[in-house]
Amino acid sequence: MGERLLRLQLMLLAAFGVLVVRLVHLQLVHGHMYRRLAEQNRVRLVHEPSPRGLILDSQGRVMAGSQTIFRVAVVPQETPDLASLLAQISPLTHRSPEVLRAQYQKERSFAFVPATIVSYVPKETALQLEEARWRLPGLLVKSETVRAYPGGSVAAHVLGYLSQPTAEELPRLKSYGVRPTQLVGRIGIERLLDDVLRGTSGGLMVEVNNRGKQVRVLGAKPPEGGGLVILTLDVQLQSLIAQALGSQAGAAVALNPTTGAVLAMVSSPSFSPESFVITSGDTVRRLLIDPQAPLMNRSTVGMYTPGSIAKLITAAAALDQHVITPHTTIVCHGALTIGDRTFHCWNQDGHGPLTLPEALMQSCNVYFMTVGRRLGVARLRAAMERIGWGRRSGWPMEEQPGHLPSRRLTEGEVAMLAIGQGEVLVTATQAAVMASAFANGGSVVTPWIVQSVEGRPGPRPVSRRIGWSAATLEAVREGMRMVVSHPDGTGHRAFTSTVSIAGKTGTAQTHEPGRPHGWFVGFCPVEQPRVAMAIVSEHGGSGGDLPAAIARSICEYVSAAETL
Amino acid sequence: MKISLRLSQRWDASLLGAAAAITCAGLIAMASATNTLNPELAVRHGVYATLGLLVFLGVSSTHYRRWTDLAMAVYAISLLALLAVSVVGTMRLGATRWLSIFGLSLQPSELAKCAVVLLLAHYLGGQPKPLPTRAVWISASLAGLPALLIFHQPDLGSATILAAIWFGMAWVAGLSRRWLVALAIGACALLPFAWHVLKAYQRDRLLAFVDPHADPLGAGYTIIQSTIAIGSGQLFGRGWFSGTQNQLNFLPERHSDFIFSVIGEEWGLIGCLVVIVSFCILLARMVRIALDISDPQGRLLVTGLFCWIGYQAFINMGMVAGLLPVVGVPLPLVSYGGSSMVILWLMLGLAHSVQRASRE
Repeated sequence: MGERLLRLQLMLLAAFGVLVVRLVHLQLVHGHMYRRLAEQNRVRLVHEPSPRGLILDSQGRVMAGSQTIFRVAVVPQETPDLASLLAQISPLTHRSPEVLRAQYQKERSFAFVPATIVSYVPKETALQLEEARWRLPGLLVKSETVRAYPGGSVAAHVLGYLSQPTAEELPRLKSYGVRPTQLVGRIGIERLLDDVLRGTSGGLMVEVNNRGKQVRVLGAKPPEGGGLVILTLDVQLQSLIAQALGSQAGAAVALNPTTGAVLAMVSSPSFSPESFVITSGDTVRRLLIDPQAPLMNRSTVGMYTPGSIAKLITAAAALDQHVITPHTTIVCHGALTIGDRTFHCWNQDGHGPLTLPEALMQSCNVYFMTVGRRLGVARLRAAMERIGWGRRSGWPMEEQPGHLPSRRLTEGEVAMLAIGQGEVLVTATQAAVMASAFANGGSVVTPWIVQSVEGRPGPRPVSRRIGWSAATLEAVREGMRMVVSHPDGTGHRAFTSTVSIAGKTGTAQTHEPGRPHGWFVGFCPVEQPRVAMAIVSEHGGSGGDLPAAIARSICEYVSAAETL
Repeated sequence: MKISLRLSQRWDASLLGAAAAITCAGLIAMASATNTLNPELAVRHGVYATLGLLVFLGVSSTHYRRWTDLAMAVYAISLLALLAVSVVGTMRLGATRWLSIFGLSLQPSELAKCAVVLLLAHYLGGQPKPLPTRAVWISASLAGLPALLIFHQPDLGSATILAAIWFGMAWVAGLSRRWLVALAIGACALLPFAWHVLKAYQRDRLLAFVDPHADPLGAGYTIIQSTIAIGSGQLFGRGWFSGTQNQLNFLPERHSDFIFSVIGEEWGLIGCLVVIVSFCILLARMVRIALDISDPQGRLLVTGLFCWIGYQAFINMGMVAGLLPVVGVPLPLVSYGGSSMVILWLMLGLAHSVQRASRE
């Protein structure tokens, strides 16, 4: 009896021993882990996104800002009858119940997390749905602040668009606090200045009880809004050009000829940056596979054969090297034979005898082919290089360098080069820089577009002097003046009585016969130029047609505008 | 000198001290556990503890034989009470365990445990060693009847406590080894059938014990939260009123069955060891008392109490720490519950009375 009692006690002591071992295991061996779990139980981090920085034009007009949009979601655990709910909201949202259900299947995660079934509804629809919520249990209309582009597609290529970071980018961005569902900039200013525009997310550290209800706030970090970016663009000028180009593919660049600041940069076809934010992946996919490549910024990336606008360089180089004088007369008979090939002027009957300004005004091929041969390929190419062709202009975003021939050229090819045909490609930006050089007295500017970031002025690139004499420039400018003002000038379509314009047209032959690129480069007012421009219509026909007309619109706007 | 001797002769320091230490630890933990639940409960708990102490003082001055003589009467009352519960009992948390009398909740199963200890002490005390077969069956039935009624409430945990009490008392009273083997074989044979007797929630609890994370928001929730609470206490605990699992409501039943988790969270391993060591001292003291007394009834009474407190304490702390499946069994002298507190202190008073008798 006694010993049996002692044995019972021993058993119990052993049991308590096991208990102590278990406690040691929980509290000492894994204590840290359980402490962490207790913290995870009670601490929630609530992310507060920062508002993205505004992008304004030079006049303070909003080009990229914020808007509140409405999305429609369904909370699975609160929806007793999904089919009925989808059927009821189908007419209001203009989507069939099948489409809604498919989206629901795709978006559904936890039972208490709302699944977004319509990513955008207009405000009226949102209000209607909100009013009907009492009979649609489980429906949720939520508002979200997203990027807005008031100009729509007007400056889409310059501004860029937003999308989620890719798997490759995420590791780097995570260290800056970017979350996988956050949107970052792609192309354009949105990408270039993304770290400024993003701002810094804030957050709340919240203590919750077992019901997930907030008990108190443990800490708060307010989000820092993105910095303000002001561009040199003039949105009204930009819209004007975009509208004038319409559905014609092409590009147009307008610069301040003295500083190089970009006043307008249009690429057509364009796209709506908002479609990346408020609609589904379908729209985006269509943009990406569109053969017309609407996402490409043709102003800086589109390389085109320059055609006759190259004659300005041929002229300036020849004058500068004293190969010709402004009064040098060459007779155009309508064709030129070099070796065993015959090259035709666009006027088959011939222009007759022409001085330099007249040859520019009429864009005579024979004149400039002759001059080009006299100049020689080395000096011709050197001049093109000096004016920035064949290399990137220093533009901070996506850009192509264009192309100049580097191999030995035949005589015929040299003549072709002198009139901007053959193995030569330029972008609209490079053409605008060339126009600026004649406007500002012989300096090659670097185009720039960021006026200020968070109040601090952006970098101001320097310009380079080419070294052409004043006489050279004056002779070429005279010709450019006549191109527009003279009734026989190829660019007479650009003429307006309100302002004096100097320019040069180009109709560049391409691989598709009968479908040339049309160019117009120029500046205005001639006496004290405020804008230099280059417009190219892709396979759009003669430069004297649409491009010249657009040039006139630009110049009329600029002369009327007080500040640019 | 003389005074202190008399004092130590009047009161058994280890018994009273250990029990008081456990009760005090319970009061401290209760204050915190009920803080965000219902602070009034802590006050009531204090009242019950005081009541228990008074009962202890009163009962320990009587002779325990008086109580064992009345065992049959107490037993009858407890059976009536158990029957009453199944008819007019208050349902709470899916079990009908309480009788509501004049606004007070009484738990007849506690009375039943007391009655069984007294009755078995009385009956088995008069039996020869080794226990004759007839005695085994009768004593088992005496314990089994209330056990069945309790099991029906349903309250599996308390029913097993009666089984443990019977086994311990029978073993000390002279249960032969043959019976031990027979019982063991019988238990193993019945185990598969036991599964079917279990209710759905009891099965869930068994499954949750095996893998609490299989149903983390359902049956496994309590165990997961309890182990987190205890583990997060580490060595010194998070401090009084500072346990987050406790204060933020993550721990269910923290004032009753899971009060040990609160101790673990707020007082750490040190706090847990204080409670466990106090229980060991208390139980060791009871063994000493049982060995000192020559009267078999007295010995069996203390043995019964030993089994009761030891087994119940281990089951509760084991389940709270995730060693055993969850069975609704409170921690003696610590968990909230007036019936349990007062009746346990009454039994401790009887144990003290046995101790006094052994000195004469």
